[in-house]
Amino acid sequence: MKCLLIASESAEVLFYWADPDFQQSIRNQYEGSQEEGGRPPAFEDSINTLFAPIIISCSTMIDRMGDSYTSFSTEDQHVYVLRQFEDCLYIAVNGDGEESEEDLKRKIYVMKKLTEVHFGMVTLSSPLLRRELRPHDTDQRNRLWRKFQSLLGTYSRLREQDQSFLVEAVERLVQPTLCEQCIEFLERRLVQTINSSAERAGEEALHAFILVHTKLLAFYSSRSASPLTSSDLLALILMVQNQYPSNSDLDDMSPEDIPNSSAPDVFYTPEPSPTGRQSGAEQACVPVFQFVDPDIQVAEDSLQALEAPPMDPAMPSRVFLEATLKDGFCPMMPHSMYCLPLWPGITLVLLTKIHNCQVAVSVYYFLNCFTQLERKLSDLQFGAALPRSQHSLHDLRSKMDKFVRALGSSSSMQHTWNDFKNKVFSRGGPRVSKELLPHCRNMKTQLCNLYRQCFVADGPRDCQRLAPSLQERARLLVQEQLLDWKDFLLVKSRRNVTMVSYLEEFPGMVHFIYVDRTTGQMIAPSLSVTDHSISELGTGPLARFIKSKVWSCVGTARHYLQKGYTTVTFRDGDYYCCYFLWVESETGYKLEVVDPPVLSDDSAPVGMLAWDYYRKLLRYYTKNHQTEVVKCYELLTIHLGVIPSECILQHCYQLACKLWEPSRIPLL
Amino acid sequence: MMAESTTLEPRWCSYFFLYDGSKVTEEGDPTRAGICYFYPEETPLDQQELLCGQLAGVCRCIHEMSRSPARLVRLRRRKFAIRMRGDFLWALGCTMDIPDVSAWAFLDHLISLFRFYNGSIRQSYQLRSKEELAPQWSHYLDHLQGGASELHHIFSALNTIDSTHIDPLLLLKAALILQACQRCPLVVAGCISYHGRVVSTQMPPELTAMVVVCQRDPQNLDFAPVANGLGSAGPQTPSTSVNSTAVFLSPAELHALRYPPVDRVHRSVSHPQQTTCAGKPRLLSRTLSDIPEPTGLVAPRASFQTMLCSTGSSLSDEGGSAPRVSPEPTHHPFPSPASGSDGQALPHFLANQEAHQAGWPNGLPLPRPEDLRNEGDLQGHTYKDSMSCDNKGEGATEKRGFVNQLEKLSCVEDRDGTRGTKESGKGNQEDDHKTSEPVEEELPLVAMALYRHRVRGLVLALLVEPHFQNDAVAMEEVYHSSLASLNGLEAHLCSTALEPSSAQGCPYTFVHYDCLQNTLATNLPFTGPPVPAGEAQGTVLVKAAALLHTHFSQDAMLQEVILRNAGSAVYGTCNSAQETYFLQQGATVRNSGVPNPQDSAFSLPTKARHKLLKHGLNLL
Repeated sequence: MKCLLIASESAEVLFYWADPDFQQSIRNQYEGSQEEGGRPPAFEDSINTLFAPIIISCSTMIDRMGDSYTSFSTEDQHVYVLRQFEDCLYIAVNGDGEESEEDLKRKIYVMKKLTEVHFGMVTLSSPLLRRELRPHDTDQRNRLWRKFQSLLGTYSRLREQDQSFLVEAVERLVQPTLCEQCIEFLERRLVQTINSSAERAGEEALHAFILVHTKLLAFYSSRSASPLTSSDLLALILMVQNQYPSNSDLDDMSPEDIPNSSAPDVFYTPEPSPTGRQSGAEQACVPVFQFVDPDIQVAEDSLQALEAPPMDPAMPSRVFLEATLKDGFCPMMPHSMYCLPLWPGITLVLLTKIHNCQVAVSVYYFLNCFTQLERKLSDLQFGAALPRSQHSLHDLRSKMDKFVRALGSSSSMQHTWNDFKNKVFSRGGPRVSKELLPHCRNMKTQLCNLYRQCFVADGPRDCQRLAPSLQERARLLVQEQLLDWKDFLLVKSRRNVTMVSYLEEFPGMVHFIYVDRTTGQMIAPSLSVTDHSISELGTGPLARFIKSKVWSCVGTARHYLQKGYTTVTFRDGDYYCCYFLWVESETGYKLEVVDPPVLSDDSAPVGMLAWDYYRKLLRYYTKNHQTEVVKCYELLTIHLGVIPSECILQHCYQLACKLWEPSRIPLL
Repeated sequence: MMAESTTLEPRWCSYFFLYDGSKVTEEGDPTRAGICYFYPEETPLDQQELLCGQLAGVCRCIHEMSRSPARLVRLRRRKFAIRMRGDFLWALGCTMDIPDVSAWAFLDHLISLFRFYNGSIRQSYQLRSKEELAPQWSHYLDHLQGGASELHHIFSALNTIDSTHIDPLLLLKAALILQACQRCPLVVAGCISYHGRVVSTQMPPELTAMVVVCQRDPQNLDFAPVANGLGSAGPQTPSTSVNSTAVFLSPAELHALRYPPVDRVHRSVSHPQQTTCAGKPRLLSRTLSDIPEPTGLVAPRASFQTMLCSTGSSLSDEGGSAPRVSPEPTHHPFPSPASGSDGQALPHFLANQEAHQAGWPNGLPLPRPEDLRNEGDLQGHTYKDSMSCDNKGEGATEKRGFVNQLEKLSCVEDRDGTRGTKESGKGNQEDDHKTSEPVEEELPLVAMALYRHRVRGLVLALLVEPHFQNDAVAMEEVYHSSLASLNGLEAHLCSTALEPSSAQGCPYTFVHYDCLQNTLATNLPFTGPPVPAGEAQGTVLVKAAALLHTHFSQDAMLQEVILRNAGSAVYGTCNSAQETYFLQQGATVRNSGVPNPQDSAFSLPTKARHKLLKHGLNLL
């Protein structure tokens, strides 16, 4: 029983995602009302009715107690997690014990990250975000919601199955020579071909990477590009997985069985189960939902996405990624993302710079200025005014004037800006008092609106894009290059690192995960537990048990890290688990550890996908080591409990030394 | 007088309320109608209504959605442990750093206390007004918030005297007093506590926790001059007082009490290892007369006279040399507001009459002084009775022991099954938690009586059959048979420095929690103000223990944990019988956090094992 809901303060449902169990339980609750009225209430209405008291109570608590709910739990382990971001209240529910409070919190933050990747700075203005999340047009709304529902489903699946999404770091295929060849190829052939083509329609390829399932084979960034953050890269991998899911059943077939096609709709498509949405007549077959396997459910989620009219596969998606450029910083810089499936499971991703993206940098700059001004103003006493030495204001004025002029005179931006100017600069000098606050807010909304018009509203539909023929050429180029490697790569992605190769040196070790948090990359023996593939641990309960142990260990380690402990070892049943976090200088010199800050329970989850905890941590460490580049590593090991603990610690030490080298594979 | 009586910070209970949803059913009903009790009482009413209304509303909504009562509501700055039973909702607001399990235990304990002294909540509020019952809640809250240390609250452990710093003979003596009282067939089990700390108990931990309540307020009594100045009592006269009150036990509690697991008595506070390892050999014959009397605190003999009782009893060896006192009717110092000036000879139930009147609400008759007057009958009657009781009782108990344990186990399993959650590995703790859960709405309660005899800081509490209160002879017999020994024990305890052992100068600190007895052993200062020097090792250990205790209670498979940060390392280990936390001071040098086999943190398990042996603690 899982559900995620976004609601506005007025208890309007802005988005929901619910698994079949939850939908069923809600339907059961409203069965009574169906008998009276003939038709059962629409699912969205029921969910609205159900959550309204909580949502209203939430805003009452904020208004009158200055405090807000963060979670509820019940005697039989139902968990509700709530987070308020601006005017949007996120509620995540779990009633089947599969997700902890921490997992739900993470899901909420991931959802928020996904909205940011999709809507960029529109998320900074709640009224605009509300409109974006809940378009008036029903079709449009359904399409959008299904997209997000499918993304959430994909995220849940990956977090359950994939170690790189468990620890939130990118896993690379360990095949150094091939990696290097590919990177070279991406640089010399692919990106050059695209950027020198006349068909690129003003776009410029900035990043290109090849994914084999969720694993990274090669990544290339052009010289002029801002580095891609781990958080963004993970979100992009999530989106690619959502578009071209690597279904585990499918992968277990030999590659020959799969038709070689690049069309996006070739993956496993079971008969759609009845959604039960239609009418009471379908109630009879409803119990089906109670026995739905989670995997099938995920597949259904992606099916729902397909109900929408198929998108042009050559159509790029608009994504908003963090960029640090020479001329400014922008946390949500618009890019176009082209996903070119090479073979099932192997995808080429291109990120291009779009032609008017400078507007985003300016918008962010001005938004920042107005936010600062707003902060200063709200600190003012009533009736007081800011000191007149307003260099920053004049500076803002001239820059803004220039910006507005460049936009053209007809914009409503011009109007609002004139209003603002009249208030501030008329009557012989700046008068900056609290009265200005609403105008400040108007300006911010206008800026977000401008951003929305430029990058979100019309979408990439009618704007330029790389010509389909160019995309096809790029795809063929890479296909040709990787043709001989294709089957190898697919197998390799399932057996990237094997525990067997470590057993001789580290007898008694069951599993490990090593993460370089500075680059956001991880190494771990593969743990694929599906019914068909035989993992190193064999099939069946033992493999599943080890997997669940790994998952719970990561949770435990994170919990203690959040509470300020960088080393944790614990004996759990027949296993002994160790976790270490340490920092060192670029040359490998170990730096003295500083106690990480103790975070409260309602802080953002420890991880990299939704919120980069480690970046904050590194910044915290850098305070003491300002001259050096500080690197941060994590190691998690699981041993058999019978191994003496001295031996285990010796293993951990040696393993950390051994793994230090491979993590240096250049990413470029 | 007692350093440990410093009240706990309000972190543990910033809010507490009881809300009756049945009073607010219609649109127009004001929320205040549903508020049965709100703490802090001085909170403005609209604030009370806001909190109660919102929380109760949200909890009901959650209940409907999940079809399971809400248990915890977390806000950004505070969390509320919730208990919903029927229309009633209890909520305890505490700060975020308090472990959930501890907050629930605190709330459940509070609810059980009310139930124990007042009976079913529904009935209580039907029979009596909110205003009448409010002092009860505030009394229990005072009790829970005072006295015990942070650690005791984290583990919801019984507050016991530090048995390592006490003459083991005293513990034995206390146990003997309790056994002697049991000679009266109406006495089911007893507990002796000193200034709120358990000295010896025959009851299961959860019941012991209930009978030691009321230890706070009598402190004023200790020092207050006796009000009505009856008899010859001057301001210096120690107020020795006896009272009895009706209490209510759940069938499960009663069962555990009547048919205890075989070894209950030996598992009481004075466990053998501690008794023997104290390393202070003392003459067995040493008695009260051997030690100098602190003047003004010991019973003035003028008004008491020895009563010879039960020469063959276990108390006899001590009775031989202890000052014999036998109350002589006319000189009896008990002030007796009820009986006016006729100089009633016998103890009756005058201890802070106001406070206790509320204690037996449903009109159970007070034992009238007249009932107890016939002193002549007393000795013979008692003697006979206690002998027969001895034979009957012990045989029966032993035989039934195993059967009952089994019964109890299966009963627990049943309940586990119906709840359908949680691991079974933590049987013991689960067990304890469950028995203390307030289940009164489902099960009929059994009325019993609680007899209490106070000698200054020392309290003898006996759970007795309800008609004990009417049985003057039995009551008098119990009173007299224990009086002398209690006086003696009190004098001894009083002279023994109860100053908490201090971790000062000790290179390590530890906390050892016994899950079965629900007791705590530690070398941390008992409570006391937070050490100003920042993160003192005590604070570090307490914080880590709170974290680990939560983890241990969630994960049945978890056996031991080492936590390490820049400046400290804490070792925690847990099995079904005990939890131990150990912190070595100074030995953990700062490190880089990289895996390092030489790090001293990883030798903590061995060290803990060695060091704790000195304290008589054996890490299994």
